[in-house]
Amino acid sequence: MRLLIEAIGHWLIDAVAKVGYGARLFGLTFRHSGMAFSRFRLTIAQINFIGNYSLVIIVVSGLFVGFVLGLQGYNTLQRYGSEQALGLLVALSLVRELGPVVTALLFAGRAGTSITAEIGLMKAGEQLSAMEMMAVSPIARVLAPRFWAGVISMPLLAALFSAVGVFGGYIVGVQMIGVDDGAFWSQMQNGVDWKEDVGNGVIKSIVFGIAVTFIAVFEGYDSQPTPEGVSRATTRTVVSSSLAVLFLDFILTALMFSRE
Amino acid sequence: MSTPPSQTPADAPFVAIQGVSFAYPTLTGALGRQILTGVDLEVRRGQLVALMGGSGSGKTTILRALGGQIKPQAGTVMVDGQNVHALKHDQLFALRRRMGMLFQFGALFTDMSVFDNVAFPLREHTDLPESAIRDLVLMKLNAVGLRGAHALMPSEVSGGMARRVALARAIALDPQLIMYDEPFAGLDPISLGQIANLIRTLGEALGAASIVVTHDVEESLSIVDYVYFLAEGKIVAKGTPDEIRASELPYVKQFVSGAPDGPVRFHYPAPDYATDLGLGARQ
Repeated sequence: MRLLIEAIGHWLIDAVAKVGYGARLFGLTFRHSGMAFSRFRLTIAQINFIGNYSLVIIVVSGLFVGFVLGLQGYNTLQRYGSEQALGLLVALSLVRELGPVVTALLFAGRAGTSITAEIGLMKAGEQLSAMEMMAVSPIARVLAPRFWAGVISMPLLAALFSAVGVFGGYIVGVQMIGVDDGAFWSQMQNGVDWKEDVGNGVIKSIVFGIAVTFIAVFEGYDSQPTPEGVSRATTRTVVSSSLAVLFLDFILTALMFSRE
Repeated sequence: MSTPPSQTPADAPFVAIQGVSFAYPTLTGALGRQILTGVDLEVRRGQLVALMGGSGSGKTTILRALGGQIKPQAGTVMVDGQNVHALKHDQLFALRRRMGMLFQFGALFTDMSVFDNVAFPLREHTDLPESAIRDLVLMKLNAVGLRGAHALMPSEVSGGMARRVALARAIALDPQLIMYDEPFAGLDPISLGQIANLIRTLGEALGAASIVVTHDVEESLSIVDYVYFLAEGKIVAKGTPDEIRASELPYVKQFVSGAPDGPVRFHYPAPDYATDLGLGARQ
């Protein structure tokens, strides 16, 4: 019994200390972000690495999610004779929810893990130590460019996901099932609000980008510099950032859309 | 970039460590195992000093304290007349630009070519045009015999070559203090001889204070000027290589001769053998 209480106490103290350390690193990452912008080439290289290389998975997933939305949406809407609204349904689902959320989850798996593993392995190979000894801050040179690359890439990837998804819905709904072409697009155009729907979706994806990329960067920097430690850190990145995305999505949705 | 003038007169020690004790703090602030206890150490300009001792004796920790990567709980670490642990962040970084460190396995940046690795400190700390950087990098690589390998990636070079590239990177800014962490570990005899020779000649050419952390007795006794022996975080012996070879101290004798048992036991502390095997109960 005493051991159990001790274990809980240890776990709690470690958890609180880790949150504090994470918060401090979050602040330091912002403070050391000068180089990520003054030498923007560093950030661009990372955007290419983590953003560009995520394109395939984002485009393919977006297309299939669009297909499924087209099928399911049509099935439900035609019961009430309102299959004309399919375009609106597909667009709203994607722009408000699925675009930012699914992109963030895929991004955590595709880019977050590679960021964590890369930084973790750099730490294990004493590369971060070596950088420090060369009077170069690893936070400024390694962490910040990756962080900002993730924050910049995420809204772009989410926008792409939504756009491809809408196209997927169009292929299934209009081309294959035969919903009226004009109604599909005009309902969408009338029903989707620029600020309420698209704007809030973009805000979501920026917040998710900050959360996922920072967790990835933090877990890599905080990992035990051993093969086992890096593999654990990579797993933690996926688990923590996926949970963070879903939790933040609930909070943001409640704040953004509860007024209606 | 011009090197700032030295603070210390030419004959004063460039590195002076006094009464340094250190234990790693845990995340929650409590102290872990004691690594260093009351360490005193001095290195002069142009002097090559070896820090010897078994694995886990705290040798590398001393280098980390010199670079300001860890903060000892007691004692002072002076480099060129400056107290490393009283410096502000920018001052510490300015001091580090005058230090070079060779890490145990080189710690080359794996995403950059050999050339870019050596160019890294120059690009980060100077505004030199790319043509000047190219010349400097090729000169440094030539000094370690690897000018021809500049286009290779770290994954394409052998362990000994990687160590030499890392050495070229460590001396890129002409440091006044060069630290070597286990430079001989895991090298074949030829690479080992090359590295030992480079450590000796580069230190002399730069007039730098050099510290070699090692457990390789033969190779280091043949090149260094002075030796400090560490055991369990304490300096247990010091002297010139000849004095160390002639030392009658049991620990040093065991270390130099490589005897498997002595003051350093072969067996990790354990309960009595017979008891452990359950033989005690029958008696």
